[in-house]
Amino acid sequence: MKKQYEARRHLPRKSARDTSGRRAQSSERFAWAGWDLLNSNVVPSLTVILTTKGCSWARRDGCTMCGYTIDSNPDARGSDIQKQFHEVLAHYGKEFKIIKIFTSGSFLDQDEMPIDARDAILSELKGMPKVIVESRPEFVTPEICADITRTNEHIEVAIGLETSNDYIRNNYVNKGFSFRDFVSASEAAHANSFTVKAYLLLKPPFLTEREALEDALQSVRDAAPHADTLSLNLCNVQKGTLVETLWKKGLYRPPWLWSAVEVLRRTQETATVICDPIGGGRRRGPHNCGKCDREVVAEIKDFSLSQNSASFTASCTDQMLWEFVLEFEEFSYGAPLVP
Amino acid sequence: MTRLFEVTQRDGAARLGKLSWRDEELTTPRSLESKEELHFLKELTIHKAEIDATVVAAQEKTSVEQIDADVVILAGATRFRDDPRGLTKALLGARKLANPDSALYVPALATPKNVSLLVYAGVDLVDSIMAEVKAREGYFFDADGERRFEEVSRRPCFCDACNGANVTELSFEHRVTLASDHNKKALKAELNKIAENIERGTLRELVEGRCRAAPTLTALLRLLDDEYNYFEQRSPIVRTATLLACSQESLNRPEIRRFGERVINRLQRRDGALLLLPCSARKPYSHSRSHRIILAHLDKLRQYLNEAIITSPIGVVPRSLEITYPASNYDIPVTGKWTCDERERVIGRLSQYLSTNAFESVVAHVSGPCRQICDAAAEPLGINVVHTVNDENILSSASLQRLHAVAQELIDACSPAWRDLRFDYMRDLADFQFGPHASEAIFPENPKIRGFFPTYYASDRGLRLATITGKYQTLALTIEGARRYLRACEGRYCVQIDDFEPKGTVFAIGVLNADPDIRPFDEVIVVNDRVIAVGRALMSGWEMQASKRGGAVALRHVEAR
Repeated sequence: MKKQYEARRHLPRKSARDTSGRRAQSSERFAWAGWDLLNSNVVPSLTVILTTKGCSWARRDGCTMCGYTIDSNPDARGSDIQKQFHEVLAHYGKEFKIIKIFTSGSFLDQDEMPIDARDAILSELKGMPKVIVESRPEFVTPEICADITRTNEHIEVAIGLETSNDYIRNNYVNKGFSFRDFVSASEAAHANSFTVKAYLLLKPPFLTEREALEDALQSVRDAAPHADTLSLNLCNVQKGTLVETLWKKGLYRPPWLWSAVEVLRRTQETATVICDPIGGGRRRGPHNCGKCDREVVAEIKDFSLSQNSASFTASCTDQMLWEFVLEFEEFSYGAPLVP
Repeated sequence: MTRLFEVTQRDGAARLGKLSWRDEELTTPRSLESKEELHFLKELTIHKAEIDATVVAAQEKTSVEQIDADVVILAGATRFRDDPRGLTKALLGARKLANPDSALYVPALATPKNVSLLVYAGVDLVDSIMAEVKAREGYFFDADGERRFEEVSRRPCFCDACNGANVTELSFEHRVTLASDHNKKALKAELNKIAENIERGTLRELVEGRCRAAPTLTALLRLLDDEYNYFEQRSPIVRTATLLACSQESLNRPEIRRFGERVINRLQRRDGALLLLPCSARKPYSHSRSHRIILAHLDKLRQYLNEAIITSPIGVVPRSLEITYPASNYDIPVTGKWTCDERERVIGRLSQYLSTNAFESVVAHVSGPCRQICDAAAEPLGINVVHTVNDENILSSASLQRLHAVAQELIDACSPAWRDLRFDYMRDLADFQFGPHASEAIFPENPKIRGFFPTYYASDRGLRLATITGKYQTLALTIEGARRYLRACEGRYCVQIDDFEPKGTVFAIGVLNADPDIRPFDEVIVVNDRVIAVGRALMSGWEMQASKRGGAVALRHVEAR
């Protein structure tokens, strides 16, 4: 019954990509405080979501799983964005070790985030141990990176690589850039002593559970040399996306939480992989059978901070089903075996 | 072209077949069980190797040209698990898209419960994936449905998977292993049962039973029944098995609707007096006690009357068609009460029958609810039905005397012509089978009829024209009868074959053209420039045209043209 009830609820439109926690909401802005890893220490963090005119790629083409563009505002100017930022700071203060500024697009895109606003925000945060911004790789150029270092040095740039497999990225995610582009961006960032975080997408559409699992494992191996942190994003069903269309037709199922556990467990030696299962346990989010979801979500979050696979202790009867799905899903020719 | 799959027997859209597969011959319908088999098929879809298997995306629009492959896969069918509407569309779409001699594989959907419906709709291959998934979700399966492990309080089954195991004491893991084995076996057993039912021509009865306690399956059956043309095109015109009409869905069986439509559209218009009689449990009706008594009472007056029987679910059966399927062998639960649905259908059929024919008077020797049905059908047409049964039994001497008197009166009033009742059977059967005006083409005004009920045969000046056959009670033409029919109805119920002299069986590969109206078991005429032959169709006319494999017509007689 509970599962059915939850199925009717949608994920909050504006979801945190990294850490959920307390949430303050004013008319147009989101921000929340949480905990994150900084040099192997767990420190307080603040996540700020700024409404901009939206992702340049989403306006032109768009990724198959991304629905964040719904919340953009085509008229957002630099001064509006600065105002949003100041309101958040006024509310939360600066007592954090990490600040994440997400625009649901590219922070380094000067068209989306005018230079004045960008510099103002970054210089305001001078002295913060780490400022994390997100960007598509085409904006992470040596010039822009050098430009930014002048205002703030402790930058981490987070890039949505999704997968190291160009075929999957371009055909199934429709991301519009190559692994090579990511590597160049990463080099430019590192050259300016930024740190780099790469987002990996567990289970893009059109993959079976096993293919998705193997793709994520391979992507961790491939991306690890070029990124300081890897963040495993468990694909969820966002409004207005192709993934949602497929999901409604019964042709897509978000990943099993067990698959995420498997990726984290098996890549522990390879890289620092963190994961926040957005919408974990919901029909639209990564889920297991419904009985063990809550426990496994907590363990995944725990692991993200501890990086210790001893976090994973849960077991459930549905693991046999998950194993069967891994083995047999390819024989359904396109539909998930289990909703 | 398909090389490795061949349909060997049909029952409506369902088929038995043979698939030559890795040096062995699989019979279908069949469940693919091992990962090896699944993998083999999957590789084929990628490499287009030995068996040409094509993946059909289960899309809403499937109107591209026909796929000519040995195995056609309905990709992603699992998503229609709880969507009977989507499944109906996808199944029929794929079946229409696939060549008739392609095997249709529906992956990861079959359970012992739903597999009979899948096969009924035209699926040839399934697999045991869902049976295993359900085991891991904690379900025991059998044909009646599924039970959760926790609900199993007694030994669920005596199959060798379950043999001796006390389910309630096992750990979850053990139960999964056991259930997964058991579920696969249950699916296999159900498929065997289905194959047997196809052989006997009783799959529909099985399907109606299976969907009884499952709303989604009942919905699926009802939606399938809405696809009348699809199923009618595949339904045989005769069956030896008795049609059991035990449910509301039985009323929608394609053969029942087809019978009703042919009575209206194909038979000659009748006039004079019509006598309506109730149906009887024993078939043909005239062998039942009630009919024998009534008919004996009317005796010679019968030759001036038209008789028709009011019955559910068929509606109206003219006396002459009592010997043909489904009127010749059906059974219904008899309670003396009619459901609204049954009533409405029979009223509809009767009023159609009355308005297409030109009866001058209608007499009804029926009682109870049947009486109201006659009135309800006749009144709107301005026809007055003379009832000869009041509140008594239809066999009471008072009512029988009344019937005799009324019949005598009517006959005196309109003095209809005398008819040979045996010819009624032949003439109506000819029209019923071969289409309107067939009887005029085949028979002269007054042919000589001989033989015993119902296997009459007709001849003209010593030439045999047609015989009512014993087993299926269809009207089989002789070569002479066929020639006469062809003269008037060129092309109808005809199979054009290549330039060879056929013997025994004509195979689909040799068919150039066939009347799309031909149905399995229809009597057909086979022609080319050299010969003319008659025989019984083994598949539908459209299928003869599209197929490359299998027998098309079993011949009776061949003669030089």
